[in-house]
Amino acid sequence: MSTDEQIAQFRETYAALRAEIGKIIVGHEPIVESTLIALMSGGHVLLEGVPGLGKTLLVRTLGQVLDLSFSRIQFTPDLMPADILGTNLVMERPDGRRVFEFQTGPIFAHLILADEINRATPKTQSALLEAMQEHSVTAGGELRRLAEPFFVLATQNPIDQEGTYPLPEAQLDRFFFKLLVGYPTASELTEVLNRTTENTQVAVNRVVSRDTLIALQQLIRQVPVASHVKDYAVRLVLATHPKTETGRPIATQFLRYGSSPRGAQALVLGAKVRALILGRFNVSFDDIRAVALPAMRHRLILNFEAEAEGMTADHIIGKVLQEVPEDAAAVAA
Amino acid sequence: MSLLQQLETTVQQATRRRRWQRAWGGFWGGLLIGAGIWLLALGLYKSLPLPLTVLTVGGALGSAAGPAGFIIGAWRRRESPLQTARWLDWHQGLQQRLATALEVGRDSRFGRWAELLVGDAARHLEPLDLRRVLPYHLPRASRWALLVLLLGAGLGFVPEYRSAAYLQKQREKENVRQTGRQLADVTRRNLERRAPALESTRKAAESVTTLADQLAKKPVTRNEALRELAQLTDKVQQEARDLAKNPALRSMERAARAAGRETPANPNDLQKQIESLEKTMGNKDLTADALEKLAQELAKAQQAAQDLLKQGAPGTEALKDSLARALSSLAQQAQGLGAALPSLEEAAAALRAGQVDQVLKDLQVAGKDLEKLKELAQALQQLQQQAEKLGKDLAEQLKNGQAEAARDTLQKMVNQLKAGNLSREQRDGLMKQVSQAIPPAAPYGKVPEFLKQAMQKMQGGDNPGAGQALADAAGELEKLMQQLADAQDLKSTLDALQRAQSAIGSGKSWSQVAGPPGFKPGGKPGRGVGTWADEEGWVDQPENTGLWDNSGIERPDLASRGLTDRGEGGPPEGMVPTKVKGRFQPGGQMPSIPLKGLSIKGNSTVAVREAIQAAQTEAQAALSHDQVPRAYQGAVKDYFGDLK
Repeated sequence: MSTDEQIAQFRETYAALRAEIGKIIVGHEPIVESTLIALMSGGHVLLEGVPGLGKTLLVRTLGQVLDLSFSRIQFTPDLMPADILGTNLVMERPDGRRVFEFQTGPIFAHLILADEINRATPKTQSALLEAMQEHSVTAGGELRRLAEPFFVLATQNPIDQEGTYPLPEAQLDRFFFKLLVGYPTASELTEVLNRTTENTQVAVNRVVSRDTLIALQQLIRQVPVASHVKDYAVRLVLATHPKTETGRPIATQFLRYGSSPRGAQALVLGAKVRALILGRFNVSFDDIRAVALPAMRHRLILNFEAEAEGMTADHIIGKVLQEVPEDAAAVAA
Repeated sequence: MSLLQQLETTVQQATRRRRWQRAWGGFWGGLLIGAGIWLLALGLYKSLPLPLTVLTVGGALGSAAGPAGFIIGAWRRRESPLQTARWLDWHQGLQQRLATALEVGRDSRFGRWAELLVGDAARHLEPLDLRRVLPYHLPRASRWALLVLLLGAGLGFVPEYRSAAYLQKQREKENVRQTGRQLADVTRRNLERRAPALESTRKAAESVTTLADQLAKKPVTRNEALRELAQLTDKVQQEARDLAKNPALRSMERAARAAGRETPANPNDLQKQIESLEKTMGNKDLTADALEKLAQELAKAQQAAQDLLKQGAPGTEALKDSLARALSSLAQQAQGLGAALPSLEEAAAALRAGQVDQVLKDLQVAGKDLEKLKELAQALQQLQQQAEKLGKDLAEQLKNGQAEAARDTLQKMVNQLKAGNLSREQRDGLMKQVSQAIPPAAPYGKVPEFLKQAMQKMQGGDNPGAGQALADAAGELEKLMQQLADAQDLKSTLDALQRAQSAIGSGKSWSQVAGPPGFKPGGKPGRGVGTWADEEGWVDQPENTGLWDNSGIERPDLASRGLTDRGEGGPPEGMVPTKVKGRFQPGGQMPSIPLKGLSIKGNSTVAVREAIQAAQTEAQAALSHDQVPRAYQGAVKDYFGDLK
């Protein structure tokens, strides 16, 4: 398939996905768009919001429209790592011999819904570390590859709620995007009521196959990025590093740690997808800026002063976006 | 042309246009900064006592260096096409299409993506009009620059603030400069006129010139100038005193003064002049008195000729006869005196021919000839009187201090002795003259010794030896004359130094300070044109100490006018003057005032250019020292400015 055809296919696929998801999910366009961007980029998504806003529904719907295997893991405080990854069990063979056999856990699927991930203990949460980064699981001394594509779509309640365990930094950094799900507007809520309180049956279709998705992910990586746009992404990430020459004063004041290199990767990859979605063949500064919040907000670790003053990562990123010039050379010239 | 080439061409055009635009903006930016510097310099100059160079440097930076520097700076700042593309992306909101297309357009790794990018960028760049995007217009800085320039121009009309003390100091400096220049001129002229014979005199004159040049070029404060001048004056005075210790010079100077200043130095020259005059006149016995009588007769004859011309026919013959007789008598008298007046004969001939007009003309010519003869006779009389004052022999000449004449007499004697054909009588005569000259030669250093030697040698018959001794005596006299001239030079240098001190000390100009008596002929040296010499006392009054007696001073400028014992009313009708003499209206025409001074006849000893230049310098000094009334300043400036 030629590049032109692949690009056309990407746009059709995206449009079809939006249409199918739109049949179930009311509003939340930015959340849906960001989720799809992460999906096309091959990254994991952390959805945060108070209960009842449709986080789980979104992921379930995504599982329905994608022609992929889907697992749902409901995280609870007593959930053990083996409950996710799988375990060796003594199995009796037809010849009567008993052997240990690995029974795969729910992680062995293409699309994982980690529902209320922050209700599990950190030990259980850490079970996902290897799977999310390396797409493999090591159990009983044996490395087992996960099927591609592999996505973890996790939901969590705000961390200040009862019975929750905040995700460790290493775990958070493995998420491509962190999306904050907000309350619906009045019209959206009305539509939600219409769809859920009446005998309305909506059926969604599977519109993307596994192979297509893999091909599209490869296409995304071909989108050219100009050097000064990459430089902008780099400068943005460096600006979040506290107590460094490149760091902005606000980062030094309110951050313990800034964004990791994974943040820069997420910025560029997410921007590439957005550029293609908007019909462009190149990445612009706007694309970088548009994905800056979901790509970096979970990677900034606030210090005590920020907590005390109620400063959020979003506010700091907003300030950094204001202060770092998009193209210093062009503006100065 | 491919799409990529089109893109590159457009971007290159934009790059060029942006460069010109930067240079244009740089010009106005530079002008703004330059104008700011100029305004600052002008403000500082107006408010603080800074030298004019501050304003000059500020003006130069503002007018030329600022704009030029910024134009060059902006022009030299080169921009790559990629930078221009990035600027265009930013300016036109092209979402980095153009820069990305240019960057990856020729990169084969991107394959089809590069083509897609270039096509997309070309589509978005198609409606772009560079003239609209990068127009040449006056930048915002131009308005500010013009405003600052206008402010500067306005500030130019504001007078400078200078404290009274500063102005006084400046005036003193200017006075020191002018005085230094004058002193240098005077000393240099003296040196050019006559090179000093003595090394010490030459050094003294040179040190005065050096100091005067220093004062003229780099004027110091009044006190410093006075101190330096006083030091130098002491030094020169000491030199003069050392020179005056020589008794020979003292006696020469005293003898010369006693004999009179106008005594001619060289009897030979005087004799030649007398002979030349006698030859011109034809008759050496012609006297001015006799010629005066002849002139009176001639005047009567002229009157008679005029009467004849006026009266016409009646009584003409009688008048003619009378005039013919008078003419004949005049001709005889002139012939008797030896005065050649051929016009009288021609007049008589014309009368006989009845041409009365011609008679008048011939008589006028005869009158002029007579006048010339009279002048010649007077000059001859003066020369003869001067010749009488000259010493007759060596003894008298030495006694009268006529060193030059004595030297010439000695030289004559030397020549006679060297000729070797002296008779006994002649030698005795010489010996007598020399022996008589020994006592009066006593004050002349070694001269009496040489004279004694000559006497002894003449007595011994050694004529060449005697000649040599007399030549040595002449040489000694020559040396003494040189030293006397040096002493006089030192005296004039001292006078100039004292005059400079006086000028600087009193704050007056060189010309206002009186030089030594007889410094220039006329009694009012260097006062130029007009009545400034007379008004000097009015303009520059000395400080009133309370003990000043001004009862003898006439102040016509302060004299009451229009106030009479009749009260404050105006003068009666018919007595209102149409022109009030002496009342000056500022800006009005300068009233005419008759010049005062002596009428000097004779040849000028100073080139007219130098005289004009000196007058202009003094006029400028008077103007700059506020010594000219405001009402006259314009007229004085015009008058002296027009002199060529």
